[in-house]
Amino acid sequence: MNKILLVIQREYATRVKKPSFWILTLVVPILLAIIYAIPIMLANKPLEHANVLVVDESGLFQGQFHSGRDITYYDAGSLDYAERQLATYDTLHAIVYIPAREASIPQDAFLYYRSDAPSITVQADVNNQLQEILRNAILLDVHGITPDDYALLTSTHVRLRTQDIETGRDGFLQIKMVVGALLALLVFMGVFMFGSQVMRGVMEEKTSRVVEVIVCSVKPFQLMMGKVVGIGLVGLTQFALWVLLSGVAVTGVRIANADIFEQAASRHSVTEIATKGTDATRQYEAARYQQAQYEAGEGIDHDLQELIEGLSSINFGLLIILFLFYFVFGYLLYASLFAAAGSLVDNETDSQQFTLPMTVPLLLTILLTPAILNEPSGSLSTWLSLIPFTSPIAMLFRIPFGVPVWQIVLSTILLLATFPLCIWVAAKIYRNAILRYGQKATWRDLFRFVKTKN
Amino acid sequence: MLTIKNITKTFGNYRALDNVSLHIRRGSLFGLLGPNGAGKTTLIRIINQIIRPDSGTILFDGRPMTETDSAHIGYLPEERGLYKKMSVGAQTIYLARLKGLDKATAEQRLHQWFDRLEIASWWNRPVEELSKGMQQKVQFVVTVLHNPQLLIFDEPFSGFDPVNADILKREILRLKEQGATIIFSTHNMPSAEALCDHIALIDHAQVVLSGPLDDIKAAHPGKDLDRIFIDTVTHKT
Repeated sequence: MNKILLVIQREYATRVKKPSFWILTLVVPILLAIIYAIPIMLANKPLEHANVLVVDESGLFQGQFHSGRDITYYDAGSLDYAERQLATYDTLHAIVYIPAREASIPQDAFLYYRSDAPSITVQADVNNQLQEILRNAILLDVHGITPDDYALLTSTHVRLRTQDIETGRDGFLQIKMVVGALLALLVFMGVFMFGSQVMRGVMEEKTSRVVEVIVCSVKPFQLMMGKVVGIGLVGLTQFALWVLLSGVAVTGVRIANADIFEQAASRHSVTEIATKGTDATRQYEAARYQQAQYEAGEGIDHDLQELIEGLSSINFGLLIILFLFYFVFGYLLYASLFAAAGSLVDNETDSQQFTLPMTVPLLLTILLTPAILNEPSGSLSTWLSLIPFTSPIAMLFRIPFGVPVWQIVLSTILLLATFPLCIWVAAKIYRNAILRYGQKATWRDLFRFVKTKN
Repeated sequence: MLTIKNITKTFGNYRALDNVSLHIRRGSLFGLLGPNGAGKTTLIRIINQIIRPDSGTILFDGRPMTETDSAHIGYLPEERGLYKKMSVGAQTIYLARLKGLDKATAEQRLHQWFDRLEIASWWNRPVEELSKGMQQKVQFVVTVLHNPQLLIFDEPFSGFDPVNADILKREILRLKEQGATIIFSTHNMPSAEALCDHIALIDHAQVVLSGPLDDIKAAHPGKDLDRIFIDTVTHKT
């Protein structure tokens, strides 16, 4: 027993001391913080102001372009004049040219520039305004709808809330989907990443021949399990550090941009105003307010609130316990098989003939993600979440949606019953194969190893 | 010291050892000789309890071997190997602790050995930076560090230059003087003749010749061990 601890200690220490472990540990939270920070930074950073000349020969757009924070539009009269202006002044960036109409609706408009192409923002703004002006003109002329009315119509919306009729609580299905998929992917990644580390560790010992010295002192089974457990602990350490450091990084971003988050928090919620009155004016006011908020991009505030409500509807205690359970036992199951695969071969290329069929259940479950999420309680999802080779991933997809207790119990029992069997088979293969050098193992060898009694 | 009784081992259809019996006396330097593929390494692995025989027993000091006996055996495999990325110090301490030594004792003995073999300055370097000869020295130290009663050297001189081979030879003889029993597996007959007091010749999974070296030489007058070996294996006796 003491010896297996020594093996675990070595496997753990050599890996945790590697610079690559710390690089990976730091890179993930940093990436996360960057992904989190970029939209905030972009929202804050003013773009270089653009001045655009408008030449309208169609008569539909004259004076209709609205200047904004980043772009100012000037009516320029004739194209000749505009071209001269553009050539003369560095402060001018582009010309929007709408030729005279041949039909009632203009077909083409042009955005002319000199040397520096206009930014995506300018292109998008010009395009949007063109469509909007044209649409408003048609609405007003043909249907008698004013632009203000139209904006009001399109910006109000009804939120569809999926609720459990007994508890009256919101289902927040999309948020649950994301949480489940995230955890399932984490288990998938963990099993693959750390499982293949086990395989490489076994191969390293085999190809360097150090294994022959080690197995004089410890049983092959102890060596294999020591490696599997040691690397598993490295995996748990890495996950824990990721969670911790990501928390720190995201909080750091929030503190650095505290002003933006405060603004968001101080706003009144739309629903609050909407419920205050039932008369038409009140509703109109609420709709106006909602419109104003969405126009300013502040609907995010509302989404954030929904996200928080949705997250708090998930039983995180159970989720975390089951996540750890399925990660640990899913890992033990597959890592022992990876160890067996590593003992059978002398190099990584040859290992694929064994690892590929071995990991099919994992890959299959990931490929079936859309089907599982579409029907989390359907028969496919239920079966996958019970079968031990797929349950570590499939069950995590399902848990945020709520799974009957008996299914969770059955799934955990099946996994608990299968992993020792897997380890037993893997250990048999391992102890027979680890000292065979130079011969390429075949599937027949593999079955022979499992059958040998010792 | 070590009694090997009727050991048989097969791998699939291949018989690696066929009813092998040997007795190795305490304090002897026992030469285990034989051509490649004769079954020497299989026998050594069975003595080390790395693999189990299909039938037969091994007695260690007159009683059946148990797991804890591995602490009394030191084994230098023919295929040498260490963790390439691990430092010499951390690695040797790890391997010594696996043999049951505590950390402090291991460190103290390692420093003594490393000083004598002039490899002490490599303590913190990863093994992959060492020359092949130095790696062999490190592995030799690991083999003998826990003062085992039984030492098994499989082709110990392969890979050593003449100077280091000579140092190794003196170390092996010194260990014998200190009371260790040594099994020396080789197909280098001159070195076996120079070192061993007893030999056994294994060919095609069977012991074909065994006994004190002097008796065997007396039974084959005028032949050196090389000649005896070839004649026995090719059945020209």
